[in-house]
Amino acid sequence: MAVGAGKPDLIINGVSNAGGGEYSSVKVDGVGTVNGDVSAVTFDANGVTKVRGNLVAEEIDCDGIMKVKGDLIAGRSVVDGNIKIEGAVKGDRLSVNGILNVGKECELETLEMEGAFNIGGFLNAGQLNVRLHGKGRAQDIGVESIKVRQASKSKWNILWRWMLPRFSPELETNSIEGDEIDLEYTEANVVRGSRVFIGKGCVIGTVEYRTELKVHPGAKIGKEVKTGG
Amino acid sequence: MEPNLISKKELLDEKGISYGQLYRWKRKQLIPEDWFIRKSTFTGQETFFPRDLILARIDKIMNMKDDLSLDELADQFSPLLPEYELRKADLMKRNIVSNVVIERFASVDSDSIVYTFERLLYFFVADKLLHAGDMSMEEGERLLQTMREHFPKFEGKACDLLFARKMGVSSFALLSVPADIYYESGVKLIARLSMNECIEQLKAKLM
Repeated sequence: MAVGAGKPDLIINGVSNAGGGEYSSVKVDGVGTVNGDVSAVTFDANGVTKVRGNLVAEEIDCDGIMKVKGDLIAGRSVVDGNIKIEGAVKGDRLSVNGILNVGKECELETLEMEGAFNIGGFLNAGQLNVRLHGKGRAQDIGVESIKVRQASKSKWNILWRWMLPRFSPELETNSIEGDEIDLEYTEANVVRGSRVFIGKGCVIGTVEYRTELKVHPGAKIGKEVKTGG
Repeated sequence: MEPNLISKKELLDEKGISYGQLYRWKRKQLIPEDWFIRKSTFTGQETFFPRDLILARIDKIMNMKDDLSLDELADQFSPLLPEYELRKADLMKRNIVSNVVIERFASVDSDSIVYTFERLLYFFVADKLLHAGDMSMEEGERLLQTMREHFPKFEGKACDLLFARKMGVSSFALLSVPADIYYESGVKLIARLSMNECIEQLKAKLM
């Protein structure tokens, strides 16, 4: 995908607005708003960035706060801070250190998540790695492999707690389906997988597993079912 | 449960695939979004698929995934028309549609003319119906005319071709799917072809 190659650059310094369009690289330092759809090879945002449309980029580096009105389609993205996408997310790899908010469904090959997240639609990922400092929420989750951990108690937790009142670092979802499932502090109605590890702090309605199930004594499970012979 | 649907669990058991594979194929757009049908059952929400479509698709993926990468597979299944062009001479040489069709419907075109994928598709559909013995040559002319006039209007959205006859008078129609259609009595539906399926078949032939 060679979006925007040979196209102009967009640079916002300070507080400014810009039109959408196709760019080679977009760089925002300060408070920048892009009106309309924007596509770029690299999208580098520092500060407060708003895109009033869809954002398509090969690489995104965001430090600070970013809001996207439409969909986000990105090859590789690294976010430190708070990102909110009102539409859907599609991409290869997304790492978030902070807060991720997605309105609709989310399809990624790899999602590395540290912090808190809320996904309004279906979360479909190849590899899903979560370290929770706050609440994690998704309607349903389908993966190849998922690993959920609670971040260790550190100074950061105190900061998070201050930023997010009623904070409790756990994952909440209707169902999780995948091959390799490794959970801690997760609340779900159904978990279905091949190799399933239910760790401490989990409350699961039904667990269906194909080859292996390990349960931590501190986990609550309503029903265990072995499937597929 | 409706007989033409298959639940996700049944599908995985029947085909011996895992959740991970299913979701991966969905991410790669090998399985279209609108085949995932969510319904509530007495055990809670469950996902269902249109049985025939998904079983055929999974078989195809399993057969072809050793030879093609997932991205190449996705291109094959995409309902978008590929940027593919073929000269008339090559079309005849590669035997993609029978010579009868070319002689009858393309005799005015010179050998060096280049057909777009869309035009190839029209010939392919005509060829299919002729071979099945459903359609006469004269009707073929009208089929091609119908396709040329109306097919581009769908702009890549899924559609079906309907071919019906009543008291010897035939008619063609293009219909966006999914849709139900009911005829007055006396009308005989001779063929209903999914254009997406035809596109897939033709792509496979051209590759």
